[in-house]
Amino acid sequence: MSGRVIVITSGKGGVGKTTASANIGTALAKAGNKVVMIDTDIGLRNLDLLLGLENRIVYTIVDVVEERCKLKQALVKDKKNPNLCLLAAAQTRDKSAVTEEQLKDICEKLKKDYDFILVDCPAGIEQGFQNAVAGATEAIVVTTPEMSAVRDADRIIGLLEAKEEIESYRLLLNRVRPNLIKSKDMMSVEDVVEILSADLIGIIPEDTGIITSTNKGEPIVNDEKSLAGRAYTNVAKRIMGEEVEFMNLEEETSVVAKVKKFFKGLMVKEK
Amino acid sequence: MKDNIFTELYNKLLGFFRQAEEEESTKDVACNRLRVVLMQDRTNLTPQLLEKMRGELVELLSKYLEMDKDALELNLEQEGEQMALMLSIPVIRAKDETEIEKALAEEEAKKMAEKNAEEDEAAEETETEEELEEEDLNAEEDAAEADADVESENETLNKDNPKKFPNKEICGDCRECEFSDDIECEKKIPSKKTAKK
Ligand SMILES: Nc1ncnc2c1ncn2[C@@H]1O[C@H](COP(=O)(O)OP(=O)(O)OP(=O)(O)O)[C@@H](O)[C@H]1O
Ligand SMILES: [Mg+2]
Repeated sequence: MSGRVIVITSGKGGVGKTTASANIGTALAKAGNKVVMIDTDIGLRNLDLLLGLENRIVYTIVDVVEERCKLKQALVKDKKNPNLCLLAAAQTRDKSAVTEEQLKDICEKLKKDYDFILVDCPAGIEQGFQNAVAGATEAIVVTTPEMSAVRDADRIIGLLEAKEEIESYRLLLNRVRPNLIKSKDMMSVEDVVEILSADLIGIIPEDTGIITSTNKGEPIVNDEKSLAGRAYTNVAKRIMGEEVEFMNLEEETSVVAKVKKFFKGLMVKEK
Repeated sequence: MKDNIFTELYNKLLGFFRQAEEEESTKDVACNRLRVVLMQDRTNLTPQLLEKMRGELVELLSKYLEMDKDALELNLEQEGEQMALMLSIPVIRAKDETEIEKALAEEEAKKMAEKNAEEDEAAEETETEEELEEEDLNAEEDAAEADADVESENETLNKDNPKKFPNKEICGDCRECEFSDDIECEKKIPSKKTAKK
């Protein structure tokens, strides 16, 4: 087996990398893939919380590279899904505790046993980013439709394009708010895609369910009714090569557009 | 009657929508600002460099056109995959042929003068080196005389050519290369140390 190593990165912090990692990983595992997630945000680990695994972590990635345990010992299995496991970051160390070479090495080893290795990248463009990207051949660039996030995404795309090992990258647009797009107070999906001229892997709506699911330590993809959950499931499908149409978050709610159409129709009749 | 009320309402609504359409939305502002800033991020063209480019373009175009120099606008724009440089100049009038010829001739003369000055300088530099080499062999007094010679020559040269420090002028923003032989710079004028090698 030779798994795919996908890094989830963003440039700007707090745009939803870790949430995306947890949900895409869970969705891929639910579809029957063997998935391992690596948290490379050493010193600021969170992926364990989003997956509800925080109490079961014994060894971390730093223990692996410093040879206090075997790689397999450090992989924590998910409660519900035996296909899914996590290699946690150390909370008491910093980004220099692991090198690019070491991460590459870990990814190479994991490739033999897993279909997907998802690497959750820390914010920024410094060593932490370089480490996270080192073992990957694919990337998902997360951004929100806000100026600063888009600008930083552009910077990350520039850096990814310069890396020979990265064969492809795609854009995940998070926290999309159809109401704001409708009132033209938020950049639309098309705007962001055009400005960054990148391919899209998914559109995730702003969803309060993300917060409640984080509280419970259970990724929102497990809630099949939620819009964000379905959006993440679609992302996983696209990663697996399925063609899934993008949800049109705007269309359904466009009352103003309907009213306008109605009046325009009347105007034609009047004449 | 009914019709009138209805038409009024309709017009009001239409007017409202039209207004909303005409006004530039905040997301359009965001998009435009982003396009500009990304262009700068991607090209390393800082506002300072764009300003310099603007100045040089004004100088160049003034030979042919009389224009409103302050209103010249220079912008980078993205058109799909292609990046475009948009230049907008309010032209007051096109200069006539004689004026253009005159400007071009003036420029040519200026260029020639500069070139000559440079050649003189280069020639002088090798001379100086020879002199300096001789210096080692000859008596110290001779050397002092030669030095004085060079200095006075330099002074006359600088009167014609305002570029008193040719190295600094040409090598505008990488001062480092003046002080170090290890730094490579394509505009670098070989220092005496490297020239001798
Ligand atoms: N689609 C969404 N709707 C609502 N809230 C969201 C959404 N996506 C993410 N969030 C919230 O945004 C916050 C940041 O998310 P997350 O931790 O995943 O970002 P990150 O990019 O990993 O941050 P960091 O750069 O610090 O690692 C969290 O509080 C999360 O609940
Ligand atoms: Mg994170």
